[in-house]
Amino acid sequence: MTTVPTPSLAGEVDLSPEPRRLAGLGAVAPALGLLALFFVVPVVALLLRSVLEPQPGLQNYAEVFGSTTYLKVFGNTFLVAGLVTLVTLLLAFPVAWFLAVAPRRWSALLFGVIVLSMWTNLLARTYAWMVLLQGTGIINRMLMQIGLISEPLSLINNLVGVTIGMTYIMLPFMILPLHATIRTLDPTVFQAASLCGASRFQVFRLVFAPLVASGVAAGVLMVFVMSLGYFVTPALLGGTSNMMLAELIAQLVQSLLNWGLAGAAAFILLVVTLAIYAVQFRYFGFGGGEAR
Amino acid sequence: MTTTPFLSIRGVAKRYGAVAAVEDVSLDIAEGEFVTFLGPSGSGKSTTLYVIAGFQGPSVGDVLLRGSSLLRVPSNKRNIGMVFQRYTLFPHLSIADNIAFPLKVRRRSKAEIDARVQAMLRLVRLERYAERMPAQLSGGQQQRVALARALAYDPPLLLMDEPLSALDKKLKEEIQFEIKRIHNETGVTILYVTHDQEEALRLSDRVALFNNGRIEQVGSGRDLYDAPATHFVAGFIGNSNFLPAKVASASGAAFEAVLPDGSRLPGLTGARLAGASLAGAGLKAGDDVAIMVRPERLTITRGDDMAAGLVPATVTATTFLGDVVHVLTRTSWGGEVSIRLPCDGFRGEPPQTADKVRLGWPAGAARIYSAP
Repeated sequence: MTTVPTPSLAGEVDLSPEPRRLAGLGAVAPALGLLALFFVVPVVALLLRSVLEPQPGLQNYAEVFGSTTYLKVFGNTFLVAGLVTLVTLLLAFPVAWFLAVAPRRWSALLFGVIVLSMWTNLLARTYAWMVLLQGTGIINRMLMQIGLISEPLSLINNLVGVTIGMTYIMLPFMILPLHATIRTLDPTVFQAASLCGASRFQVFRLVFAPLVASGVAAGVLMVFVMSLGYFVTPALLGGTSNMMLAELIAQLVQSLLNWGLAGAAAFILLVVTLAIYAVQFRYFGFGGGEAR
Repeated sequence: MTTTPFLSIRGVAKRYGAVAAVEDVSLDIAEGEFVTFLGPSGSGKSTTLYVIAGFQGPSVGDVLLRGSSLLRVPSNKRNIGMVFQRYTLFPHLSIADNIAFPLKVRRRSKAEIDARVQAMLRLVRLERYAERMPAQLSGGQQQRVALARALAYDPPLLLMDEPLSALDKKLKEEIQFEIKRIHNETGVTILYVTHDQEEALRLSDRVALFNNGRIEQVGSGRDLYDAPATHFVAGFIGNSNFLPAKVASASGAAFEAVLPDGSRLPGLTGARLAGASLAGAGLKAGDDVAIMVRPERLTITRGDDMAAGLVPATVTATTFLGDVVHVLTRTSWGGEVSIRLPCDGFRGEPPQTADKVRLGWPAGAARIYSAP
């Protein structure tokens, strides 16, 4: 049965007794320790540098918020992340649906393709897109061959290239939570809705959409947050005019050695990410409820 | 004869490639009737129901409600109620909202919806559960809500596809009683699918017994039990003994058969032949037939009375069941015959294992079928 956690139920869901939760703590201690050492400590160190370098104060934050260049990078980061999330959702939905309803053989094959693509090296996949998308690449040559265009389209070093490359990378992260939700649905429920008098659109809006909402939320959150901090793909497929935050931070550290400013930018990104998580948690619980 | 039947199923067949789920089903149903489709799994009863619901189109045939065909009408415009085998409440909606759903999509006013939801909750006796979520209800309660949801929009026809098959026996009987009560209170026409003959007999005005995609017989439970039209019906409804025999002589209603052990059954003039007369059934001397007698119609004769019996047999087991004694016997050709005797239905001690007895039956208790 599908159970959709509702806000009113949230307090009643967890029935595990207190002692058991504490016993579990011992088992996760090594992982927590690792995270504390290699994640929390560097983050705190970076935060400290952002308010201490070159001198104590909030001047780094003032510089980030005061400069149109940096604000443009922030704006572009959200634009790319939002665009990638939207396109990924639109592409992933039919795939997740097919995985849930297709004969076992077909869904197993498709699953294999999706997982295999996740296992392939990120850099290799991104370079492959460079080959495909460049002015003399296969896509442009084919389009010119069949006479659809006379000049090569600029598909790379711009927003189009970043969106294509990142959407491709993010697809599995959207498909998997969506699929986990969709496969718990019973098609008979939709037949029942239809016989109750609901049109196809009403079945979708009043029954299907609410039932998959938690899966959509989990996928959207995952892809959006991952996209916000993405570095490799934007760096290789994007242009200088639409730099993303991670690229900016890398540049500040590597070329300008400005750790203070880089720390400020990184910390702002972290706060934004946590804020998005908080919203998600408020409405759907951790990681979108049953989708995990 | 000129009145239009309320629901008319006409020559419906449903084929998937070379396989036919439904071969040829025709049935007229009167308004307010409770008709059950009974049959083993894969006999086409559910498929016929899905054709009426509109989830599947028939390969041939038609379904008419009040004289107009339903086939061109999409499921959501048929205005038919249905309760499914699986739990189909909308898990994200409260019980009240589930029942309100069909009224909301029909854009009824809020006041009307509220009143109707209350009435439906009362009908299925779940007033206190209005604000609960489906997952918080038991299976039986969920099916009662599904029933309320299906009746909320006052459909002329209610379909029920094995709605109680997931419930345990006690709960099942409780809800069967509820369904019967609701049928009486609302007067809705109900088409009910089940493979449970007890359920079919308990609930329905008429039972349509399905086998291999066809209806073998339609009638009241009594009709099906007392006058099964075919060998299959006789075997499916209730318990039955079939004695293999050969027609010795047949002329008009007079009929003599020979059992494998050579014993003659001349006293079969009163035996009813399924169909019409012997000649009508096309039986002639030498044909193989099966003689069916219900276990409770058989009698056992012993000792001095032996001559009154017809078929010699040996007792293999006797089981005391309180109100009846169940006696299992074996004929000389190795056929098993079971007999249910009321506890006061024999003189002296009950028959013992290895006793030599003779089996008999009153005139009219046997039915004769062509051997399958």
